[in-house]
Amino acid sequence: MNKKLIALLPLLAAGMVGVSQAATEADVDNSFNPYKSGLPSFPGLTAGTIINKSNVEPFKDVLGAGVYKLIKEGLFEIKVGATTQFSISKAYVDATKANLNKTKLGAKAGDMITGYVAGRPFPEEPDAKDARAGEKLAWNYKYGVNWGDGAIISPFYWKYRNMQSGQVEKTLKWDFHFLNFMHRTKDAPVPEITPNPSGIFRAIYTKAHEPSDLKNTQLLIQRFEDDNKLDDAYLYLGFQRRVRRLAQGQATDAFLGSDLMIEDFEGYNGRVSDMKWTFKGTKNVLLPMWNHDELKLATDMPAEADGYKYVNFAGQGGCFHEGTWQLRKVYVLEAAPVNSNHPVSKRVFYMDVQLGNLNGANEIYDRKGELWKVFMVGKSQADHHLPVNKGAGIGIDDAFSMVDLQSKHCTTGQFKGQVDPKKNPPGLFQVQNLRGGD
Amino acid sequence: MSETKYYQKKRLSLLGSALCAAFAGPVWAEGLPSMGEESSPWQVDVTYENHTAHREHAGLAKFRNTLQAEFDKKAGDGWTIHGITRGSWDGVYRMNSSEYGKDAGGAIASQSTVSGSLVTVPWGVGAPPAPPFNTALGGLAQFPATYPNNPNTGFRVLGDRWHDINGGVAFAVPVRPCDVDSRGCRDFGGYGDKTLSELEAPEFNDRLDFVRELYAKKTFDLGDGKGLFVKVGKQQVVWGRTDLFRVLDVINPVDYSRNNIYDELSDIRIPMWIAQAEYRMGASDTMQDRNFQIVWNFDKFRANNLGQCGTPNVILDAGCFFRGMANLWDNGGTVANFANVAPGTLLATNFGPGQIGLKDVNLPDWSLSNTQLGVKYEGVTMDGLSFSLNALTYRSQLPSLHGGKRATNSFTGVYQNAWPYLISFDMEFPRVNLLGGSMDFQVPAANAAVRVEAALTDGEEFSNTAREELYSKNNVFRAVVGVDRPTFVPFISETSATLISAQLFYQHIFDHEWRQGSLGPVGMPDWENSFIGTLLIKGFLRNGTLSPQVIMAHDFQARATAIAPQVEWNVTNDLKITVGANYKLAEGRDRWNFDDCRACNPFAPFTAPAAEQGNGTTENVPYSRGLAGMEPLGRFRAGPIGAAFKENDLFVKLNYKF
Repeated sequence: MNKKLIALLPLLAAGMVGVSQAATEADVDNSFNPYKSGLPSFPGLTAGTIINKSNVEPFKDVLGAGVYKLIKEGLFEIKVGATTQFSISKAYVDATKANLNKTKLGAKAGDMITGYVAGRPFPEEPDAKDARAGEKLAWNYKYGVNWGDGAIISPFYWKYRNMQSGQVEKTLKWDFHFLNFMHRTKDAPVPEITPNPSGIFRAIYTKAHEPSDLKNTQLLIQRFEDDNKLDDAYLYLGFQRRVRRLAQGQATDAFLGSDLMIEDFEGYNGRVSDMKWTFKGTKNVLLPMWNHDELKLATDMPAEADGYKYVNFAGQGGCFHEGTWQLRKVYVLEAAPVNSNHPVSKRVFYMDVQLGNLNGANEIYDRKGELWKVFMVGKSQADHHLPVNKGAGIGIDDAFSMVDLQSKHCTTGQFKGQVDPKKNPPGLFQVQNLRGGD
Repeated sequence: MSETKYYQKKRLSLLGSALCAAFAGPVWAEGLPSMGEESSPWQVDVTYENHTAHREHAGLAKFRNTLQAEFDKKAGDGWTIHGITRGSWDGVYRMNSSEYGKDAGGAIASQSTVSGSLVTVPWGVGAPPAPPFNTALGGLAQFPATYPNNPNTGFRVLGDRWHDINGGVAFAVPVRPCDVDSRGCRDFGGYGDKTLSELEAPEFNDRLDFVRELYAKKTFDLGDGKGLFVKVGKQQVVWGRTDLFRVLDVINPVDYSRNNIYDELSDIRIPMWIAQAEYRMGASDTMQDRNFQIVWNFDKFRANNLGQCGTPNVILDAGCFFRGMANLWDNGGTVANFANVAPGTLLATNFGPGQIGLKDVNLPDWSLSNTQLGVKYEGVTMDGLSFSLNALTYRSQLPSLHGGKRATNSFTGVYQNAWPYLISFDMEFPRVNLLGGSMDFQVPAANAAVRVEAALTDGEEFSNTAREELYSKNNVFRAVVGVDRPTFVPFISETSATLISAQLFYQHIFDHEWRQGSLGPVGMPDWENSFIGTLLIKGFLRNGTLSPQVIMAHDFQARATAIAPQVEWNVTNDLKITVGANYKLAEGRDRWNFDDCRACNPFAPFTAPAAEQGNGTTENVPYSRGLAGMEPLGRFRAGPIGAAFKENDLFVKLNYKF
């Protein structure tokens, strides 16, 4: 008996470090299909329900605090849709299963994980008693599917709007490219683009086409596998024709005058180690998730040759996307910056359990602890979007609203997301590509 | 005259065509020919800019209207075409013609120093020297008494925009456009011989500058993550990592006539016909990125445009020195405070044609050997250090004056092919070889990004009064360190960081010559070591639609400072208004004075300083004794900020995209 106990000690010790219980295949199934045993519901909430200022109170529990505040103030209303499956690519799910329990947290928060190969590193249900549950969810996000192994948004329209007057102050037309260099599961090459001596995990490349003062402005962000390594970021200014390396602080500055920081991209675009992550619980919350082809789409946007139409915007100042919201199982996650000089004191995320994304209904608090901005990225089910996205196995970001409650201003985004590996050659994500522009 | 009219007509028709094309915008875009499969339609953006500036003491200094069309097309098979046409018309020459146009300048006076006192004397009237010395020395030997072919009209005194004569050398500079007054007009490399219509619409010239850029580019996939990037056509090739200073960014010459050093370089680089190929090797086991670039500038040589004398932007006032010197060679003229006839007495002197001045401008012709070639290896190490190694062989874009050339002795009438130390010049553009590098990296502890750029050149030439040719070749080391730091400055904005960007430029001239002569320092006017610092503070308000900024630049050796505050307001997506100023300060301007070679004694013994006349030894030897003044070499000590220290501007810019 004693011998058996002694033999178990190393396992127990390992568990004390971070993994309270080994994850099972059932955990994986629950993680990627949280609605296997039924769809979530809430009294009085059905598909077609309109929630606005007059009837928001009963639904307070299924709304993010920021979204609730926006509706309560009469800034917009939401239409509820049915909860639907946003299935993750089989390759990613299989990778999760194949590498189950291989990932271990570092000795302390902020340390690099070890043993990670591919897939969702911590698919088990987070435990509120686990002090590092939030950190595990953050790793799940970093290594989540997000835009898959790679995708582009082309074009991507941003509008800077005065929320009070509705005036559109500026319109940007972009291309955004995302590419995972490591831990790839679906698109060749799998699992890694080599050689990759710096250990770049993922890169984002953007290029602005409009307006004329920003034309040819390009941004390249390289995030490294080593989470303790600072991102490298380069900005090519079209009017200067020169690549500038960005200082780290520019990731938390208003990006090109918008209401977004670079750190806001995709919900959270920083290192895991930049934040102290806290898991606050599991609940059902309304998130902007829809089928693109079932929406009433915008008629005031430039025409696309393939007939694609963008999500429409309405509400106060035209700041709010007009997609439907569905009840989703989420993990409530808080992130507080480690750096005390950070302009944000806290971010609150409602992490969609199935997708593992963070960007449905985020709250961003200023240094004084007051609600500063609400960021809502609406997603379309991939099979209900462009033909090229059929079977992509990700949620297609389709529209965003970044609402600055303090300055009564917003930035909105309208996407044409395309999961097309051919449009993302690795050379696009090298600094030199920026220099070869116009 | 008829020739002038012909060219004017041709230019106006070119201007008309370009303006029509630019205004046509979308119509033109639809009308352009299709160029094959996998192609896209032409995309054309048309912008208009008005830049109006008011200059202290001069009045209107710019009323420039620019129409620019930028067009792009995917031409099929992976090729894309990019072009920019630009046409501008500056109304300042007609709206302020008394300062910059056909009525500019007038009659001037010269100056003599008589027993230590400054005496104003008539320009262009000479007489044998006699007390009270109230006329210039002339009317004897080869010194003319009058200048029937060089009337005292349409002149300004050299340097009067930034200093008084004050006992130094000064001579007349014709300032009217060259179709109005052709005196001293030469092609100094794209400027110096321009007519009124060419000055007001500078892009419409025989180098077709209205086609600002036109190139095709393609990346050939070589497999295995490698590619060959090719870009051929009229283009800008930008090397380096710093703003404002051109340490590595020297492939394209620069047009300083547009707005001195104060426009974005991308707007004032002169695009050249260039072929560049870049082998993009991607990552290796030890480097995250590797690229090897070859740049062949096969265009006919072009110099930096330093601005024609009589126009608002004449950097270093060099264009005036050149034109005045060319007029001296062609027509002769009165030179202030020159002939040292007695101790403390330096008389204004009437030189005749072909005695002193600037004769030939030897612009390099097109030949294979005159083309320019550069190579660059650029990479990123696995630790994130981004760097480049650069090498370039090119022709200097700045002119070098080779002195001690042919002339007729003003005293004896003897002509010789060379007179050591004589201020008889030809203009040359020597070949320069450059080796350099650059890098940038983050300093996380300071939340800053650092940029470094350095280059060593061989072949550059500098004025040097210690040499009988009045120039020397010197190796030069230049470096810039720049730091960018986004900083929250609460009184500017609590939500947006303010960009603070500082740079320090350093230049060292190797084998710098400088020695104390009997009358003052002799040698090279350029500082052996010079430092210039710049500071940019730029804020972003109202979601970046309002951007106040201030740029400060300080030349530590010249003790000159430029301060340029401005506010940029993006009124709408398509309309931007910028209001700003540009003020300069300069202290201790006496330190700009330098040996002007009045005491060089080229026509020995006649030109020997009074104190040496009759000594039988040094009176027969030409060399500089170091008598100094602000002209002509003070400009190199004052630098572009100091030499423009009286050019304080207020400006408004309006940009509109159609």
